[in-house]
Amino acid sequence: MPKLTVEKLKLIDNKQIIGLVGASLSHISSVLQNTPYKLEILEASRKELNSLSLEAALQKNFTRTCEELLTLSSGGIHSLISGLLLKFEANTVKTLLRTVKANLSTEEALNYIVPVGNLNEQACRKVLENSETLEDVIDVVSEYDYGEALETAFDVYLKTKDFHVLEVALDRYVYFNLWKNAGNLWGLDKKIAKNIFGLEIDLVNVKTVFRCKKMNLNLAEIKQYLIDVSSVFDKIALNKAITAKDTQSTIDSLFKSGKDALARDHQYIFDELQKSTITSLSNLENVLDRGLLDANLRMIKRHTAFFNVGLLLAFLTLKRFEIKNLRAIIRGSEAGIVPERVKEMLIFKRVN
Amino acid sequence: MSAEVANVHPTRLELLRLKHRKSMAEGIVDILKKEIDALTLTLLELVKEFSPLRQKMYAEVNEAYNLFVEAQMVSGSKKVEEASLVTQPVDYQIFESTTTGVLGIQFPVFKLKQNQLSEPRFNPLDTPASLDESSSRIDEALHDVVKLAQIFESVKNLLEVIATKKRQMNRLQFKILPGLDATIRYVELILEETERQDAIRVRILQRKRKERSMKNV
Repeated sequence: MPKLTVEKLKLIDNKQIIGLVGASLSHISSVLQNTPYKLEILEASRKELNSLSLEAALQKNFTRTCEELLTLSSGGIHSLISGLLLKFEANTVKTLLRTVKANLSTEEALNYIVPVGNLNEQACRKVLENSETLEDVIDVVSEYDYGEALETAFDVYLKTKDFHVLEVALDRYVYFNLWKNAGNLWGLDKKIAKNIFGLEIDLVNVKTVFRCKKMNLNLAEIKQYLIDVSSVFDKIALNKAITAKDTQSTIDSLFKSGKDALARDHQYIFDELQKSTITSLSNLENVLDRGLLDANLRMIKRHTAFFNVGLLLAFLTLKRFEIKNLRAIIRGSEAGIVPERVKEMLIFKRVN
Repeated sequence: MSAEVANVHPTRLELLRLKHRKSMAEGIVDILKKEIDALTLTLLELVKEFSPLRQKMYAEVNEAYNLFVEAQMVSGSKKVEEASLVTQPVDYQIFESTTTGVLGIQFPVFKLKQNQLSEPRFNPLDTPASLDESSSRIDEALHDVVKLAQIFESVKNLLEVIATKKRQMNRLQFKILPGLDATIRYVELILEETERQDAIRVRILQRKRKERSMKNV
């Protein structure tokens, strides 16, 4: 049962992760060889040791972890984890589309691709060798679940020539699928999964709103990038946020929407945003990500009496942020970024 | 080096003309000195602007690079590189014009204009905000680069004008004026000599007249 297996899968201690800040790549690699990332790091060390190979190793480990959990689960949980893996598959499709649009050769394109799920290395190579245009790629992947969404988006792309339309269609499908799978669970699991995924989708929409407002896009243009499933921030709440005059008013509007919907987790996050000094959008994204991580952990504390899907989701979220932190440390070390700046970017659970 | 004496008729009229030319040349030298002072002040003001602007540009480029690396830290280097494959390049155009500055000198004015894109460069769902921030810092840095180029070109124009005026002033001070002085001295000498000879001639004539008058008596 994945709920029990999760307890056996270990995460790296936060102090150990902080200790890696400013360390050389070889030191980081040797430390990670004593962690659950051992297999992938050893494989990467045999080839060239640089931030790209280490990042790829971390990503492979996460995919492998999800696939292991998938083999151990059934029913609704199986669909949930499949939905999470679909995110990676969608990323692979995006990579295929981008490399074909940029007219890269098959070998050059394969450097960017992370094979996952239905799109393993052979399948990706076949797609690249048989595709000269975006239409060819979409024809090949049309047999998969997201094929229809891509085909619809392609018709819009032909009119607007906006490549992002295709990427947004994939993202919308993935999140819609996750939301649907969360809705197919029962009882407490359903409540927790909808809370967590609903919050994640809302935060993705909020980040999109802030970024698009900074770019001075109008309401209709911003709506093109929003995921149209939501637990708390519905169309009215997002419209109010989009039309707010500045960053502070937007945050206040979102806090009020969270309060009106009696969504505690949303209120915690936007209350913190109201109290923080937001210096930049990347700073704001960090606060939102930290809020998501805290919400996952809060879910476990709220419902400790029974085993539930919250443990699994919290573990996967912690794992995701652990990989994000390790990636930041590795790239920061390679680029010579000052350790203080790297530490500001790390996202950890609060110590309380 | 001795000054050249001009080939002139050594007359009083010529002497007057030479003195007039000398005072004109001295006046022009004064004006040129004042012009060079004004141009030097303008040059110093531009140079004062240049250094902090260059520091600011370096800081912006540095910050843009740091933000770009932060984007790689958040999303992964491969992901950022992949996003760049389909990112629309920004089209910049520089419009040149001129403006009249000190002493009527034409200074260049460069305006950097960016062609507005119809949609966002980066997919907000798929890339971190630090990529947008990096892009806007580079944009600011480019504006500063164009301003620096404008200041540099203005400084270049000013230096050329200052050099020309200095050459003119030096020519007046070290060639024309000494030449005029030498010529004036020459003419004065000739005139003095002529006066002395006239005086001697007059005395001789007077003595001869006296002797003739004494003989007649």
